[in-house]
Amino acid sequence: MINKDITSYSSIFSKDYTELRVQENRQITIGLLNGDVIRNDSSSSSGVSSRTFKDGNWGFSSNPNISDKSVQSVIKSSTDNVKFLNKRDNNRCGILLPESFANHEFDHSSKKEKNNQKYWIEYLKSLDDYIKTNHSKVTSRTLILNSLDMEKNLLTATGSTSFSMTPKSHLYIVLSAEKDGNPIEFMDVYGGLGQLDDVFNNPKNHFKAIDKQVGYLIDKANGIHPDAGKKEVVLDGDLAGILAHEAVGHTTEADLVLGGSVAGDNMNKQVSSSLISLVDFANVYQGEICPVPVYVDDEGVKSEDVTIIKDGILKSFMHNKDTSRHFETNPTGNARAYAFSDEPLIRMRNTAILPGKSKLDDMIASVEDGYYLMKTGNGQADSTSEFMFAVTMGYEIKNGKLGRAIQDTTISGVAFDMLKTVSMISDDMKWTSAGMCGKKQPMAVGMGGPAIKCQINIGGR
Amino acid sequence: MTDQSIIEYTLKQLKKQGADKYSCSLSNSQKQELNIEHGEMSLFRTTYNSSLSIEAFVDKKKGSSSINKTDKDSINDTVNKVIELSKSSKPDDCYGIAEHQSSQTFSCGSKQVDLDLMYDSLSNFNEYVKNKFPKIILEAAILDFTRINTFLGNSNGIDFKINKGLYNFGPMFTAKEGKDTSSFNYTGFCTKDIIKPLHKYGTIEQLLKETEEQIKTSPVKNKFVGDIIVTPDCLGDFLSMLESYISDIMIISGRSVYKDKLEKSIANNKLTLHSHPLSDRLDANYFVTGDGYVCDNSTIIDKGVLKTLLLGIYGANKTGEKRSVNGGGAHIVEPGDKSLKDIISSTDKGVLLSRFSGGYPSDNGDFSGVAKNSYYIENGEIKYPISETMVSGNICQMLHDIKDISKETINFGDSIYPWIQFSGITIS
Repeated sequence: MINKDITSYSSIFSKDYTELRVQENRQITIGLLNGDVIRNDSSSSSGVSSRTFKDGNWGFSSNPNISDKSVQSVIKSSTDNVKFLNKRDNNRCGILLPESFANHEFDHSSKKEKNNQKYWIEYLKSLDDYIKTNHSKVTSRTLILNSLDMEKNLLTATGSTSFSMTPKSHLYIVLSAEKDGNPIEFMDVYGGLGQLDDVFNNPKNHFKAIDKQVGYLIDKANGIHPDAGKKEVVLDGDLAGILAHEAVGHTTEADLVLGGSVAGDNMNKQVSSSLISLVDFANVYQGEICPVPVYVDDEGVKSEDVTIIKDGILKSFMHNKDTSRHFETNPTGNARAYAFSDEPLIRMRNTAILPGKSKLDDMIASVEDGYYLMKTGNGQADSTSEFMFAVTMGYEIKNGKLGRAIQDTTISGVAFDMLKTVSMISDDMKWTSAGMCGKKQPMAVGMGGPAIKCQINIGGR
Repeated sequence: MTDQSIIEYTLKQLKKQGADKYSCSLSNSQKQELNIEHGEMSLFRTTYNSSLSIEAFVDKKKGSSSINKTDKDSINDTVNKVIELSKSSKPDDCYGIAEHQSSQTFSCGSKQVDLDLMYDSLSNFNEYVKNKFPKIILEAAILDFTRINTFLGNSNGIDFKINKGLYNFGPMFTAKEGKDTSSFNYTGFCTKDIIKPLHKYGTIEQLLKETEEQIKTSPVKNKFVGDIIVTPDCLGDFLSMLESYISDIMIISGRSVYKDKLEKSIANNKLTLHSHPLSDRLDANYFVTGDGYVCDNSTIIDKGVLKTLLLGIYGANKTGEKRSVNGGGAHIVEPGDKSLKDIISSTDKGVLLSRFSGGYPSDNGDFSGVAKNSYYIENGEIKYPISETMVSGNICQMLHDIKDISKETINFGDSIYPWIQFSGITIS
């Protein structure tokens, strides 16, 4: 637990705009491989950082010690660093950042009595025993339980203060089977916002999902390679989230727009079917807290929802203070840092395509020859808006009915072309937050969406 | 406490609290980092950190923790936590720590940063890009000097000190003309000293030129099975996939396609892949394995034959196979005898694959992904830069289907790679 009161340090800020952040990240990781404990770890990393802005340049410094002396040291060092840059290059002399002021406390710590690591090892062991006992076709079992608590305390020179404790907990189950001597694996992930005790209650609650996962694995072991090329597909809600994140989200981060992203030329233009609306939610969606809630960002800006696409028209980018100055708009509260030693970057929070009016069954029934794609792995964006992401579970659709399962593949498309092919959107919504987004630093992000019918490139044979 | 006494104190506390076997490491790092964002050098970071990692075994049960504090109270709390974690775990006869080895100190790179050199090098690079490649937007370019001093000890008496100081550079860029945009591209290198302009390292100059060419692209016209020529920037991705198949988790779980392939042919006999962490040819050396053994150089694939798995102590004990003499990486791929130009000339139909944006490969080796910053080749000539093109194949089969390896290689400081031509890839 870090010290909540750092306001007194404002007296030692230099005259220049300064941010001071004290942060601790705590992680628990337990891993079982075929019943053996391969990881049993509880770790933490904490410290203090300062960032100073003057004349268009930033200085940053961090220290793992949290004390009056180290706070003074990082403030001095970040000030010295910005002076170094200003002395070498004064081209941007006079640039000022937009001022902001926000105060918020958010603590999502569990109120329950905490179970110890022995409990969680036994928890995983009972899941492993269940799989071993009930699913003889499973040839290998890897179970990983991971929790990350991110606790931050922020003070800025313009008077913003923020305390946040944002936890996430996930259970990763990787199961393998064999077909003709070849290994086939399928991973599913469970969990979301909250500490372990709030997210996971009873091993028995997972049994049904595990049975379903094994069913998919066996289908996949008997699956086929998809036919490579452009196909009509129904993307399940799990995939719509990563579509929102990779295909559009990254392309509309304002720093990437300045870096040449194609989104920069498309503001207020039609970039998708009018069925598509896409929002980066700050913290709440329809009255429910999002998987990665952000109330005040790491520049002390109040986090606001950003409507990126409204009825098919590109409406907004996600900003930090510096890009909002450049684009002459307001900062949106998207500046976030992963560790105490990291500077804030523009990051998505909870990026989602909004639900439509169709039913998933009707969407599948409407496809003559295509694929229903259900689960995803990693993904990547591009400045051209050409995205890709892995598909780890899916079925072919023939004459409106699900057929054989498919083996692992990758799908891709140019977002601002592909999204124009969207013809149906389901009326439900799924959120995920298991992955970490990579952009110089890792970052927890939420992704959400309904099922989507569209045309997309699929890899295969 | 001094760094050495922190290790000694931690080991003493672990023994006192009842650990049967234990190890710990302390790393103190200092990084100075200059950042270009959108063509302007606008951020200078100085970061300090410590990392104290502790692993303990009680009654053949394991626990571990790492913190970034080195005061006595924090160490005592963490030692108690690790002992508690160990006691709460399940026993396994296969856990172990490194055996006793004589004390050693290892060094690599520079002790002191030259900040003015860093600034001037990065500033000159920025100007060079603006003048020579006017269509390039330097989205980000990060030059850092990172100094890490590490101390390692365990209950078998190992006592190692490792001092490393390296410059690392990574530019990321896009080309833009009017409303047309290329894919972003990136590369990087590490070096002990900056002795030439940054664009002269690795493939930077070549990729900047190619990225400007890639503003206008086309998809390949039809699906076909053909060759891919994987560039040095892209080859590491495929070799990392291979390494994952021969490492602890995949071998222990029995999921690896290479589980029974030691001393057997897994690739065309043109391929020899070394893991040489101690090589004088590489600036980024490493000296000790993750388990605490002093490294040696090894050959992973010798003329197509798999010579070693990449197992740590646990993996070796679990499978009965030999422990690897290093932790992999530090790749040096033996060059071939044909020039890249001749390899391209010999390609009927295929893709020069400069960046692979794809999913992690399946356990059976299947992979698919998008060919980025790449070119279509037909009748021995590079025809045009491509987009919206996918490549699919199986990495195990692909290694057997090597047609040629270039005589030219690129040294990135942490690896040396040639261009490799593979056949039988589905391109769509």
